[in-house]
Amino acid sequence: MVKVYTVKSCPYCAKTKKFLASKGVEFEELDIEKDPAAREACKKLTGMDWAVPVTTIDNEHYVIDYDKEALEKLLCL
Amino acid sequence: MKERIHKDVVIIGAGMAGLTAAMYCGRMNLDTLVLENGIIGGQIANATNIENYPGFVSVQGGDLIATVQQQAENFGAVVDEFDEIEKVTLKATPKIIETQEKIYEADVVIIASGMNRRKLPLSEEKKFAGRGVHYCELCDGHAYDGKIIAVMGGGNAAVDAANFLTKYATKLYLIHRSEFRADEVSQKRLRANDKVTIMLQTEIKALRGNKRLEEVEIFDKKSGETKTLAVDGIFVNIGVEPNTKLFKDELTLTASGRISAGEDCRTEIDGVFAAGDVREKEIRQLTTAASDGTTAALLAEKYLARLKAVN
Repeated sequence: MVKVYTVKSCPYCAKTKKFLASKGVEFEELDIEKDPAAREACKKLTGMDWAVPVTTIDNEHYVIDYDKEALEKLLCL
Repeated sequence: MKERIHKDVVIIGAGMAGLTAAMYCGRMNLDTLVLENGIIGGQIANATNIENYPGFVSVQGGDLIATVQQQAENFGAVVDEFDEIEKVTLKATPKIIETQEKIYEADVVIIASGMNRRKLPLSEEKKFAGRGVHYCELCDGHAYDGKIIAVMGGGNAAVDAANFLTKYATKLYLIHRSEFRADEVSQKRLRANDKVTIMLQTEIKALRGNKRLEEVEIFDKKSGETKTLAVDGIFVNIGVEPNTKLFKDELTLTASGRISAGEDCRTEIDGVFAAGDVREKEIRQLTTAASDGTTAALLAEKYLARLKAVN
């Protein structure tokens, strides 16, 4: 299952979610502002200060920010 | 082979100017497409507390622009924020807008591509991007709950970002190389917050840290002193630059990189209009962006009517 780490107010998170939905990709959204465990997992994954959005397929490979080309590559779209 | 599609109007940019134009074009039954390479709303998508847009005591930028998008779509305009524009040919008839997936032929093009935020011009920016250096307070501000934050910049966007970030910061520095350009109301709010220290006429000269940002070197232009300031994160709001790269071979750009067009939004090419912050003008506000979008759409309809009468 694709996971997307987000923050509610983040416009790039909204765009990433809309993009995945437009491509028919099912994903689990994890709001790192509300979920401390998700927050730590996201930080551990990227090594960054909880930068969002982060999209991952396997908790190893990920894309930070809305990056269409990188998302297409990651998700084989 | 890319599909070729005809449109009455293609609007480039889905900020306030572009979406207002789309709303008007939609109401006039024009076949209208809005293309956006960045995020819907442009600069105001990041605005936390808009208090100077008539009709609203206070509104979030994202909420306001989502409403305008809804209005445009209700009247039939289509907004595509995923198919990026690769090339435009404006001098041709019809005008050609080539995206990653399609080729659009348009009788009218309204350019409302807005502005992009400037990056911090320091060599260490890349090392610390996302590790203490940030550009989106709405996205990353929450990571600094209980931390020391610096905001760089002195315009409305910077002061509004600083006011927003005080909800997380234990201490916040507003650092700006010259004097404030922000509204008095926003400045007053910031000055009244005892977590905030305002450092005007002060430049950030270097960023330091091991794996992440730990301190910034600042230079006080008045005293000539160089100091080190411990900070956990810095949010950069040092201005914007016009998003006109796509048009540099098609239209005359001004010294500031904006598109030259009068209050009627007409450019040097018939059927091509420039609206919002991308147009060279003295006042650039959300209200004037909406005004430009209105003007461009109404004059686009007149242009199309003339075009049809001739053909």
